[in-house]
Amino acid sequence: MAGISSICSNPDDRAALTTRSVYIHVPFCRHKCGYCDFTLVAGRDDLFDRYLAALSQEFQVHGFDPSRPTEVDTLFLGGGTPTHPTVSQLRALLELVRDYFPLRSGAEFSVEANPLDLTDEKIELLSEFGVNRLSLGVQALRDDLLTLLERDHRAVQIGPLLERLRPVFASVSIDLMFGIPGQTLGDWEQSLRDVVAYDLPHVSTYGLTWEPNTAFSTRLKRGELNRADEGLEGEMYLAAMEYLGAAGYRHYEISNFARPGFECRHHLVYWNGGDYEAFGPSAARHRAGRRETNVRSVLGWLSAVESGRSVVGDAEDLDPETRARELIMLQLRLDHGVIRDAFSQQTGFAFNDLAAGQLAELLASGLLEDTGEAVRLTRQGKLLGDRVAAEFL
Amino acid sequence: MFDQTKIRNFSIVAHIDHGKSTLSDQILLKSGAITEREFKEQLLDDLKVERERGITVKARAVAVNYTYNGEVYEINFIDTPGHVDFHYEVSRSLAACEGALLLVDAFQGVQAQTVANAYAAINANLEVIPVVNKVDLPVTRIPEVLEEIESVIGLDTTDVIKTSGKTGAGVEDCLAAIIERIPSPKGNPKDPLKALIFDCKYDTYRGVITYVRVKEGRLYKGQKIYCMKTAAAHEVLEIGQFRPHMEPCEDLGPGQVGYIVTGVKVLGTIHVGDTVTDYHNRAEKALPGYEVPQQMVFCGMYPIDATDFEHLRDELEKMSLNDASFSFAADTSDALGFGFRCGFLGMLHMEVIQQRLEQEAQVDLIQTAPNVTYQLVKTNREEVFIDNPQEVPDAGSIEEFREPIAKVQFILPSDKIGPIMQLCADRRGVYLTTEYLGPKRVQLTWELPLAELVFDMYDKLKSITQGYGTMNYEVIGYRPADLVKMDILVKGERVDALACIVHRSVAERRGRAVCKKLKEEISRHQFEIPIQASIGARIIARETISAVRKDVTAKCYGGDISRKRKLLEKQKEGKKRMKQFGQVEIPQKAFLAVLSTGEEG
Repeated sequence: MAGISSICSNPDDRAALTTRSVYIHVPFCRHKCGYCDFTLVAGRDDLFDRYLAALSQEFQVHGFDPSRPTEVDTLFLGGGTPTHPTVSQLRALLELVRDYFPLRSGAEFSVEANPLDLTDEKIELLSEFGVNRLSLGVQALRDDLLTLLERDHRAVQIGPLLERLRPVFASVSIDLMFGIPGQTLGDWEQSLRDVVAYDLPHVSTYGLTWEPNTAFSTRLKRGELNRADEGLEGEMYLAAMEYLGAAGYRHYEISNFARPGFECRHHLVYWNGGDYEAFGPSAARHRAGRRETNVRSVLGWLSAVESGRSVVGDAEDLDPETRARELIMLQLRLDHGVIRDAFSQQTGFAFNDLAAGQLAELLASGLLEDTGEAVRLTRQGKLLGDRVAAEFL
Repeated sequence: MFDQTKIRNFSIVAHIDHGKSTLSDQILLKSGAITEREFKEQLLDDLKVERERGITVKARAVAVNYTYNGEVYEINFIDTPGHVDFHYEVSRSLAACEGALLLVDAFQGVQAQTVANAYAAINANLEVIPVVNKVDLPVTRIPEVLEEIESVIGLDTTDVIKTSGKTGAGVEDCLAAIIERIPSPKGNPKDPLKALIFDCKYDTYRGVITYVRVKEGRLYKGQKIYCMKTAAAHEVLEIGQFRPHMEPCEDLGPGQVGYIVTGVKVLGTIHVGDTVTDYHNRAEKALPGYEVPQQMVFCGMYPIDATDFEHLRDELEKMSLNDASFSFAADTSDALGFGFRCGFLGMLHMEVIQQRLEQEAQVDLIQTAPNVTYQLVKTNREEVFIDNPQEVPDAGSIEEFREPIAKVQFILPSDKIGPIMQLCADRRGVYLTTEYLGPKRVQLTWELPLAELVFDMYDKLKSITQGYGTMNYEVIGYRPADLVKMDILVKGERVDALACIVHRSVAERRGRAVCKKLKEEISRHQFEIPIQASIGARIIARETISAVRKDVTAKCYGGDISRKRKLLEKQKEGKKRMKQFGQVEIPQKAFLAVLSTGEEG
């Protein structure tokens, strides 16, 4: 624990730049929820062995070798539902990952988890392999909303689950959604009070995103679902800032709140323009200005790996200026914003030179504030973060 | 030189969609000028915009050789546009021919432009051969259609030709009729050269390509020629014919149609309608040429990026070389900066030019709403023409406001008379006559203000009559009307490029419709934007665009930063086609909102 807080309390999170980070996409789910557009297969657990074999092959293609393992500072298993596979499958996955990417001392190992998957056996297994951060897909704390979201747990199951997790994992985070059809501001505020009462180290709040090609978008078009009013969504977001802020959480990123020292170090690598390896379908990696995204389809990724073809679906080499502008987009998501000195050291560009056209207007409109040392989003600016970020691209 | 008695020049005139292009291609196919594969595409429509819209905009000329009764004939085929806006191009093409096929759809029968184009051909003293096309359709009305051709146009249909562009049936009959019925061109090859310039286009590599029809004398490679109107001399570097692609030849004699390349790169030195003669042996008198067409519709075109102004001017010059019916003049607007005021034959013409500018010239444009030309009599009795609403003076200095009036012929199914009469009455029309063309088809004649006609009457007519109604019009003069200038204010500031001239009786309805449309077109900002319409100082309509309350993507798509960045870049890209006006960004399309009539509700 001491290790985590000593790195993350660094005010500009610069540690992210020297961190060795690995993301692994585990694309298995019991069911594809209506709002979800992540890469996954539901009801195809039979593909697990092929997935595992392909994963180890992908490690090797990228030059990783279990005889000379690569120690990592942050490891993140996302999905899909990484806790969906059976105990023995999960063990095999964790062994494979450990063989290639053992944890360095003080490393953060995060796993996304579905509450009902977390049997005592799986909890023990995750702990055995050094998982010290669980991100729980709770999403809502009202049963009718959980049903609408097609989640399999009930609200009442969360409290007791957390009591079982607390002694085992150094950090537990829960995801909560706002802007769900039918959700009122009162409902949301009650969820926030419930979450504060759980007294967890980390909370993520997400406004429901209506992604095209999801069942939700189809239902929206047919008029079966109503999209939450944008004003209401804004109020819900402000309520999250207010309730969680008052409870001592740092709103360290647009969607993330943490007790000091419990920020997700893996995600800070993304938001600070750092490098990270990534494996599995749809996984995205970054190495010194080259960004690659694997093919999104699970079967497409499998067959590419198996036939020895490249699994990269999209790749781009960013020129220095694009890279610098991208960093503005990313760091504006962080509470400290773009720190001028650190920015010019990292990119070779002076922030003010890149922002000459837009800065004055955005400051005047009250969406950005300038502390001299840094430029960051105001409270109002956080509500319109995409708009502000787009100005700098 | 080709035996003059074996030359035939013809056009096909038809109402739009009566199958002209397909039949044209069949003629090319049957004479061996094109292959089956080339036939698959509408070959004569070589402008991208024409292929996209499936219409012919510019006239084209193709020469084919065809063997008939053992003799080789040269048949020059001059394609013509069918839409009412391009009537001027039709008359130009007809002047280069001795005959025309009048194509009539076997089901739709005689339509408004069939009548207009047939009369144009008859007035040009052409031999007109009636052809009933699309006889392969499952349902046809051939006997009624023949009766319409006889009664409405007055052509004898005893020897009518029945064709199908789709199957190729009757195409040989057409070729036979062209050879037997259309006279060979007159003209003496020994006389001084007289060739009519009927079109031209600009080619990046070869310069100006001039389309000519030789009337007298002989045109040959290496000849020094003289353009009589522009008084300019050129050397013929290449002459040739379109077969259908450019094919060089040694000379062209009376009746032949082809092209000249002189290496001229300077725009504006070649004029459509001019007469080409021999520099050393000049003709005494030029050919009659063409009437300069009247522009009916005007709009402003402004480059979104001000540095594109000169580039846009060059492109407009090229465009006007290719299309004499289009005019432009430099103009400025407080809202849009430096740009051009452009004149067009009609709405379709305007859309085509705008599309060509964007596609061929790659200039991003903001186009203001089109309007017609008005006439003002000021209190000091001075008479002025106004083709830009910004130029309307204070109401106090206007004695009389006059608008152009058109005489309009509609041909439509008789059960739709009611709704069309109502539409014309709503649009301040004056009813003239009703004539029955047959038991179920009727021709209505109205006088309508041009402003009420040009923007959407054609679309309205098509929708009311399920596509069966057609129209044609000509402007007959100006009449006084109770017109006012309507201003639009965005966030309290008047946007001059959104001003328009409306009839007082419909000003409030139009004002509401325009404000509503602008509300749809202008995206929300982080503040409220009031949109108002006013006449003088009086506000007649108002809408408010609400502020954006939340715009931030929660998740960052795992580590897929590229996807996130591209989404935001796209958002930013959309703003490039907007014009910043004060704090408000107004998209290109919003400037056309002024056309909203509010008739729907």
